[in-house]
Amino acid sequence: MLAYLARRVGLAVGVLWAAFTVSFIVLWLLPGDPVETMASGGLDGEPATPQQLAALRARYGLDKPPLWQYGDRLWAALHGDFGTSIQTGQQVRAQIMAALPPTLRIALAGLVFAVLFGAGLALLATYVRHRWLRQLLLSLPPLAVSMPTFWVGLMLVQLFAFQLRLLPSVGARGAESVILPAVTLGLPTGALVAQVLAKSLSQALAEPYIVTARAKGVGRVAIHLRHALRNAALPALTVLGYVVGNLLAGSVVVETVFNRPGLGRLTVQAVSVQDIPTVQGIVLCAAAVYVVANLLVDLLYPLLDPRIVVGAPA
Amino acid sequence: MGTALKTNTSHTRGSLAALVGFALAAALALAGCGSGGQAASGAAAGGPPRPGGTLRFAVSSDQGCVDPQQVSSNDTIYAARQLVDSLTDQDPATGQITPWLATSWQATPDATAYTFTLRGDVTFSDATPLTAQVVKENFDKVAQLGPRATLAKGYLSGYQGTTVDGPNRFTVRFSAPNVQFLQGTSTHSLGILAPASLALSDDQRCRQVLGSGPFVLVSYVQNQSITLARRPGYRWGSPLWAHPGEAYLDQIEFRIVPESGVRTGSLQSGEVDAISSIGQQDEQPLSAAGIQLLARANPGLPFGISFNQSKPVVSDPAVRMALSLAINRPEVVGAVFTSQTKPATGVLSSTTPDYTDGGAQLGFDLNRAKATLDADGWVPGPDGIRAKGGQRLSFGVTFFANAATNQPALELIQQQARLAGIDPRIVQQPVANLAQVQVSGDFDAIWNNTTRADPDILRSAYWSGGANYYRLPPGPLDQQLTGQAAATDPARRAQLVAAAQQRMLTDYDAVPVVELTTVLGAGPGARGIRFDASSRVTLSDTWKAVD
Amino acid sequence: MTELLPELREPTAAPAGEPIPAAVPGRSRWRGTIGFFARRPGLVASVLYVALVLCAAFAPGVLAPGDPLIGIPAQRLRAPSAAHVFGTDYLGRDLFTRVVHGAALSLQATVIAVALALVVGGLIGLLAGFVGRWVDEALMRFVDTVLAIPPILLSLALITALGYGTLNVAIAVGMASVANFSRVMRAETMRIRRATYVEAARTLGTRWYATLARHVLPNAAGPVLVLAVLEFGLAILQVSALSFLGYGAPPPAPEWGALIADGRNYLANSWWLCAMPGFVIAATVLAVNRISRALDGEWTRGTR
Repeated sequence: MLAYLARRVGLAVGVLWAAFTVSFIVLWLLPGDPVETMASGGLDGEPATPQQLAALRARYGLDKPPLWQYGDRLWAALHGDFGTSIQTGQQVRAQIMAALPPTLRIALAGLVFAVLFGAGLALLATYVRHRWLRQLLLSLPPLAVSMPTFWVGLMLVQLFAFQLRLLPSVGARGAESVILPAVTLGLPTGALVAQVLAKSLSQALAEPYIVTARAKGVGRVAIHLRHALRNAALPALTVLGYVVGNLLAGSVVVETVFNRPGLGRLTVQAVSVQDIPTVQGIVLCAAAVYVVANLLVDLLYPLLDPRIVVGAPA
Repeated sequence: MGTALKTNTSHTRGSLAALVGFALAAALALAGCGSGGQAASGAAAGGPPRPGGTLRFAVSSDQGCVDPQQVSSNDTIYAARQLVDSLTDQDPATGQITPWLATSWQATPDATAYTFTLRGDVTFSDATPLTAQVVKENFDKVAQLGPRATLAKGYLSGYQGTTVDGPNRFTVRFSAPNVQFLQGTSTHSLGILAPASLALSDDQRCRQVLGSGPFVLVSYVQNQSITLARRPGYRWGSPLWAHPGEAYLDQIEFRIVPESGVRTGSLQSGEVDAISSIGQQDEQPLSAAGIQLLARANPGLPFGISFNQSKPVVSDPAVRMALSLAINRPEVVGAVFTSQTKPATGVLSSTTPDYTDGGAQLGFDLNRAKATLDADGWVPGPDGIRAKGGQRLSFGVTFFANAATNQPALELIQQQARLAGIDPRIVQQPVANLAQVQVSGDFDAIWNNTTRADPDILRSAYWSGGANYYRLPPGPLDQQLTGQAAATDPARRAQLVAAAQQRMLTDYDAVPVVELTTVLGAGPGARGIRFDASSRVTLSDTWKAVD
Repeated sequence: MTELLPELREPTAAPAGEPIPAAVPGRSRWRGTIGFFARRPGLVASVLYVALVLCAAFAPGVLAPGDPLIGIPAQRLRAPSAAHVFGTDYLGRDLFTRVVHGAALSLQATVIAVALALVVGGLIGLLAGFVGRWVDEALMRFVDTVLAIPPILLSLALITALGYGTLNVAIAVGMASVANFSRVMRAETMRIRRATYVEAARTLGTRWYATLARHVLPNAAGPVLVLAVLEFGLAILQVSALSFLGYGAPPPAPEWGALIADGRNYLANSWWLCAMPGFVIAATVLAVNRISRALDGEWTRGTR
């Protein structure tokens, strides 16, 4: 068990390190002159004189060889220092920490909605007897996934905020303001959950113990919820990492549409002024979240499913 | 952002169902999407102003700074203006300069020195008193500010220093006659800050300033909101205001909402009490919903295209002339701007003092535009865009999204210009980069306007000896501009200003298109929103009828 | 972590050795095809719709003869009607014409993105599957990393580095999709490598590049191309998201995402500016997904 744990944690760390390397290559080595890129994006109104560019270059260590820069930045990152934002002069880590709570709020709400919507849809679809109804229900996930997230958000705003006047259209004031962003964010994720759960539910319902239960006289609903769902839920758990990453990514669009503060808005602002340190910090943050979520799943799954034998070759 | 869904074949029929479901969703959406808003509820009650309440004001952009001495974008000025007082005020109706923090003043006949007497009971929000010494420090510091403070530095052009003659008396001296300084003291750019703020760096001041104004800054979250709270004990309001004492509102919350459609919807649904920068499409629905539209024409430079005359293509006067002739101004105004807006008829807006009508040179004549380009050697290419010596007649027009009308206006101008074979490319920059773009000269042409109730704004923008963002070469225009800044005789000044405007129109140094008219939407709850002489809002007299 | 739900990452590849129903001569084959389509009206609709979109992309003048950049300001913000099927925008430009001409821009970017992802991902997967051992491990760890970063964030990082523009958007989206292609290619390569006929070829002394060209590539092509079609749908969504955020071509280019972003200003009272381009995007993605599912296995599973 310990070996399994150690291996999993080691893999997680490895992925984080690799994410750092990839983002370093993309952001610092790819553009012709990162300092020029950052300076043209915004320096609080100060003109970028050659002396200032040189000073910036020295400050970011860009006059040193790439390998040295990589090592220096990696060392700083290990200490939690992701640099300073070009645009605002604040520490990148502080900015991300401040932007995280509002995003987590809608991400969590989105997750709740996704689980409820997805599970509800899957359960309903596998429960109903009529084929046409099942087909109709199961056709909703592909539909949900085909619609652009930003468009869904805008249509929801038009309907619920402007026409029906039920919910606020922008901002982060009050609990009601979370509803529309949560629905927008959770829809594609819910579709995925519905798909996965429906598949494993139909597999579970085909198992012999279901026949036994029915022979014993257990009601249909009870079978569905107590027997089938429990066994079907576990495979659905494995997509958690992917789901969490998706929610975080979705916040970029959702926060723009609903004008909410958070990580997504921070990303868009940083990209618009080509603020390389901030963008790298956000990429690493997202990778970390994904990795941690997957690690949690990897650690929890053997505990939840006694059939899994830990230590099997990965 | 999508998911790799692998469904099994039992869903083959699901695709038709999906299309059906899709159509159902579409029908639902269309059914839900009617047109227009519903009438606002609640009869508008009259009655005296009452204290209390929070005004929620949605604006379209954030310049990234709350220091009144360093802001130039209207949306941000609305907030910054409430934080400070000025030495003088300007009557919106007559343009007269009236007392405010300064009870009286005298100017020397040659306008090189101004002596002011301050009122004695003013304190800043940190309880420090306003004295002549503090004003001196303010003016001295202006010269050291960065490029964001161009307006303020322009007002103090030729500043030699301030001598303190007594606790409440001081004299400001200039090296050359400076006629427009008095009007400058009434603007937000020379609003007086507390000594504690003067000690901060430019960037620090952008995040937090202390003034003596009717409101104090509570919080500023960039690109999100600016929150102000009433200043208790305030009693030195401008005599032009309805009441000189404490503001009625407890708080004002400026919310940054970049999309005009969302601002309008928020006002209609009552989420906010007032909005700025209304698009034309919002006028009729807002009026129908019982929303009051407050409008005032902005004095100063109209919306138009100014050029970086050090760049190729746009440094050619024939190109600038052809562009101006190709623009159908009434069409642009009619299509994009609100109903009270007028096309530009000169390089100054018609409400500016000493404006002269140059409308004859700003007419629409597509044939003459084409002829001008033909004569200059620009030959139409296969895609309709002209070229000369391998150089395409194409240049970038940079704009900032601090007005909802900027992009649509430029798209229409682009459409019109292409008919003459000119290709203006639209380049959008974040509004926080405004100063940086101007200083660095990283533009071919810029679409913007500047509000000022004094013709000296021409000198601020187009004098080759000043900041000279447009990189104008030295020429006869300079003498006219510096001359009017020194002319103490109003008639002589008007003459010089007229000559300057005429010269600019002849050379097409700027291509003015439309006069900015500030239109605000005020919901039934918001009362007493007033315009100052520069068409910015003063909110000390504002109160909330419904909380 | 990914091993527990392999079918989410790799497609249900046609079981090795199971061929497409053997060629039946003449009439009955034709009848089989017709029957296949007749039972799947959704698929027919999808194919027709995609054909329309492709027509819009390559010959927009056929569907919408007007000029997408010219409008009559007097006719601005008209609701959908017989004269303007999608309504007009804020400068009086016909929205249907703009959407049709925008198809070319959006699809251009999408095709480049998918092609890039296919080539780069395919090469990586090929290398990993063919060479095996530590190269495989290293490359797959790299792919795992890219999967750890949400695609849109990776695309945004690339946009930060490269700047705005349609081509950069295409590159950004393409690079973010490399992972899926490399996994599929790797799986296929490894499967084929282990097949009997390849072993036989090796014993006969065939060089590795001949094996590659003659056996691996043609057989791996199928699942990879199916994935390409699926990724096409996803790429359309990502490209339009990036152009919605403003990173695509500058105005007045009628990219689909940019049309929706422009329409936001008029959301309260002119809903069609946002709704119509969005419907078109969603319908396109839906249709492409439907076709991809059909290619994935329906045809090989017979004419039911």
